[in-house]
Parts: sequence; C-alpha cells; structure tokens
Amino acid sequence: MVVFLTSLFIAGFLSVGGLIPHTVDARQSVIKVSGSSTVLPIVARAAEAFSAHHPDIRVLVNPGGSGVGVKSVGHHLVHIGMVSRRILDDEKIALPKADFRIHVIGRDAVACVISSEIHDAGVTSLAKEDIRKIYLGEVTNWRQVGGPDREIITIDKEAHRGTRHVFMEYFFGTSQVKTLGVDLVTGSNNEQRTKVALSDTAIGMLSYAWLNNDVVGVDIRDGNGILALTDENVRNGIYPMVRDLSLVTDGMPNDLSRKFIAFLLGPDGQRIVREMGYVPVR
Amino acid sequence: MTPWFLGISFLISSSLAGIILVFLISGSLPIFEKYGWEFIFGEEWYVGETYGALPMIYGTTVVTGIALGIALPLGIGTAVVTSEVVGRRMRYILKSVMEIMAGVPGIVYGLLGMLLVTTWIRDLFGLVDGNCLLTAGLLLGVMILPTVMTLSEDAIHVVPNFYREQAYALGLQTHEVIIYAVLPQAIPGILGAIFLGTTRAMGETVAVMLVIGSLDRIPDPFYNLFAPAQSIASKIGREAAESIGVGLHWNALVALGLILFGMVMTLTWLAERVGWTGRLQ
Repeated sequence: MVVFLTSLFIAGFLSVGGLIPHTVDARQSVIKVSGSSTVLPIVARAAEAFSAHHPDIRVLVNPGGSGVGVKSVGHHLVHIGMVSRRILDDEKIALPKADFRIHVIGRDAVACVISSEIHDAGVTSLAKEDIRKIYLGEVTNWRQVGGPDREIITIDKEAHRGTRHVFMEYFFGTSQVKTLGVDLVTGSNNEQRTKVALSDTAIGMLSYAWLNNDVVGVDIRDGNGILALTDENVRNGIYPMVRDLSLVTDGMPNDLSRKFIAFLLGPDGQRIVREMGYVPVR
Repeated sequence: MTPWFLGISFLISSSLAGIILVFLISGSLPIFEKYGWEFIFGEEWYVGETYGALPMIYGTTVVTGIALGIALPLGIGTAVVTSEVVGRRMRYILKSVMEIMAGVPGIVYGLLGMLLVTTWIRDLFGLVDGNCLLTAGLLLGVMILPTVMTLSEDAIHVVPNFYREQAYALGLQTHEVIIYAVLPQAIPGILGAIFLGTTRAMGETVAVMLVIGSLDRIPDPFYNLFAPAQSIASKIGREAAESIGVGLHWNALVALGLILFGMVMTLTWLAERVGWTGRLQ
C-alpha cells in the first residue's frame, strides 16, 4: 500500500512538472489567437476552414475583448490578437517592447441598438444628443425621446471592450466617460445581445453583424441629417461608427501565423468575412 | 511511524496557503500605498483614475446573505427530514440527487439564471429588469443548497442512536427528539456545512457575473435588492483577463482578492470558535 501510494505521489509530481510527456500529437503545430469577441466569429470559422487545408496546424481561438487581445500579444501569451478598435497610446506605453503590426481583415460598424418592442413602438432613430443624455442619466424614459412611457434600461459594456470604445468615442469624444445613467454592464457581443433581447425596454451597443429580430439598430440623427444604418452606409463609411477589424502581431508574424493571415485575406477568408455579416476589405 | 509522504503532503498543502497569501499581499501593496483605506471605503471605480472597493464588498455580503437566507432553512430542514423521517431508500435517492446537484458547475447555473431566472424575477416583481442582487442571491442560494443539505444530513445522521433511544425513553415526541436530542449533537457538523456553503457563495464568479448586472454601485437606498450591483468575484472575473499582471488596475484586482480572502478567513476563524462547543464563547 505504501509503495502504491508513493508511486502515485511521484507520478503526480512528475506529470505536474511536465517530465512525463503529454499525449499531444507532436506533429501538430498550434496558432493561439485571442481577443475581440467581434472578430472572433470570423476567425473561428476561418480556423476550421484553414485546418481543413492544413491538418497539421491547429488554431486555438479564445474570446476576451480587444484589450485582452492586445495584452496577450504584448505578453507573448498568444501569437495573434484580435482587435476591433485602434491600439491605444496607454497600451503602447504599457508594452514598450512590443512592435505591434496591424493586419486589417474586415470592416464593421458599431450600432446603437434597442429592444425590438421599442423600435416597433416608433423609435426608429435617435438624436446623437439623446443617446448622450441616456448614457449620462439625464434621460431615463423612452417618452422623453418620442417613444412609449417606459423606463429605459441602459446597457454598457466592460471598459476595455473595443465596441464600447468606438461607441463612446463617437458620442462623447473619449472612451473615459463616466456613464452614470447605466443600469447593466455586459461583456461580449453575445452577452450584450442576449440582455437586450431579454429586455423589452433596453438600449445598448452592438457590432453590426450581431443584430437580429429582437435587437434592432437605430438610425442616428446628427445635426439635420439622418445617418441610416444600412449595408451601403457601413461599406462607404457614411454611418459614423465604422471600424476596422484587425489581427495584431508583435513584430512580423511567424510562418504559421503569416499563412493564417494570408488565408483570411485570400478569397476564402474574405468570403467568410462576408458570410459572418461583416464587410470584406478585398 | 508516520510515512514520509504524509509529511510532504502536509508541507505542500500548508505552504500553498502561504504562497497564495504572499501573492495577494505583495500584489496589492501598491494600491494600498496609494489609496490606503480609501480603497476599501471608496465607492467609485474608474480604471486609470480611482479604485474603490466598497460596492463590491457590499455586493458580495448581500448576495451571500440572501443565499444563506434561502439555503439554511431549506437545506437544514431537508437534512432533518432526510435523516430522521424518510426511509432508507428515499434517503438514498435524496442524497444522490443533492450530491449530483452539488457538482453542477457555476456556468450552468449562470446561463440558466440569465435566460430564465432574470425574466421570472422581473415578471414576478414587476421590475423593469431582472438583473439584480436578489436574482444573484437566489441563484447562489440554489447553488449552495445541495452542499448545505448533504453535509448537514451527514452530521445529523451520524449522531448515535443512543441519544434518540434515551430521548424516546423519556417520552419525548419525534419533533422533540430531533430538536432537543439530535440537533444539539450535530451542530458542529451543521456549522461546517453552512461554512462551506457560505465560502462557495462568496467565491462564486461566473454565475453571479451573468445575473447581478455588474454595475459598480451601491444601490440607492442600500437595501434595494432589486437594483443591479457587483460582487468581488464577478468584478475580478470581468476585468482580470484584460489587466493581466501589470499596472495599478491589476494591483486593485489582486487587492479585491485579498479582501475576499480576508472575509473568508474571518469566517473560518468564527466557525472554528463557534464549532468548538457549539456556541459562541
């Protein structure tokens, strides 16, 4: 018994220390990707297609937000980061050794979204100033902006999310805004969409490709013009919150990563970008 | 003879606790140097500007309180019935179900909570939205119920029959036997069960994160359980990946971890003191 326990114990130690080889297929190379949940659907689908062409390469994709993407690449935790906004000055200062290279793979818009019930009740566009006031807590009822007499559930996103960044920079000129009118904070696009859909009186922000019947984008009134949320306006950049979806590497990508990025920029990859609801760059 | 590997196991286990504590303290030093008590009593958290932990401490305390308010009566009540009233076969079934439930991961409760419980709570209480302290507490209560129930049941079940026989011999009714003879003997074990449930509730991350609303604000008025809030664990869960290892933001999150650690340690200490004799000394 003692011998048995002892050997178990030693085996435990060795496997923790990595002395007993793990049973991972050594012939498979791995590309690790993490970051923006906006870019993730494209990369996840592309990873499947890419691995079908290259059975010896595995692509591991994890969500977390643009901030996570930048930091993970900077700390060499992953090979490729996914970002849905520009890289911030703060991030460059925090990671002085990193030499970020941006590879734009598609375009997207950030939409201001509302629950379909409110849209059906007649709120199809909102003034830029109204949206600002809603997030600052100065407007709290849909009646104040031409809707039904219902309290507004204002949904924000975690501070480091790329979607929030683009949204707040457009409405407030800075992402460091204190949104005192907020009721809920969510993380990924998926969580945001679910919470808006489950509510019948919510406003939030969502990547264009994630809109559906329950979560509807609104047009934005800026000055006298209406900036309509249409495919056409996203493609030609008339809709304001259009952004690049990028992969980021530290320095030149290694051979494996370069192959994967080239695949995304090629015809198959760009078709996936379109299929996922985003706008291709080529 | 004490086998040598037992000694080694002991050393590893005890040094692990030490390592975690050292990590938490050293990681949170910068934030306490800069903000001192203001970190604990501050109510605002804006990354890069100011860090205040009070809303999170408040959230953790309240959701744990609600969870206990649900899990204690239900768990101990079920435990008493399972051990003392129902037959052996029924007990086996109840225990198996509870033990399976105790192993369900938090994310499953979280998703169920987000998709079902938030809308139930909203419709039941006529709220504008169901992501709030009450929903999080309720969900946690359901999560820790199996732990509280099954461990309390164990404690009650192992009380020797001698006590029951004596009590019956004195002419006591079944409920009197349970209250005056069985439960007092089981109290240390029941306290242990409550303690384990409490710490699981305090540390639960993802289930709370999905239903509490994640708003770093103490509700107004503070006893409004229908308001969104934030717990320590859900705050760390939301922001840790983004701040990995560098900067004051990271120090602030580690300090939150230290506060949670301190809260759990205080509870452990209390539980041991109470558990010794079954009452506060």
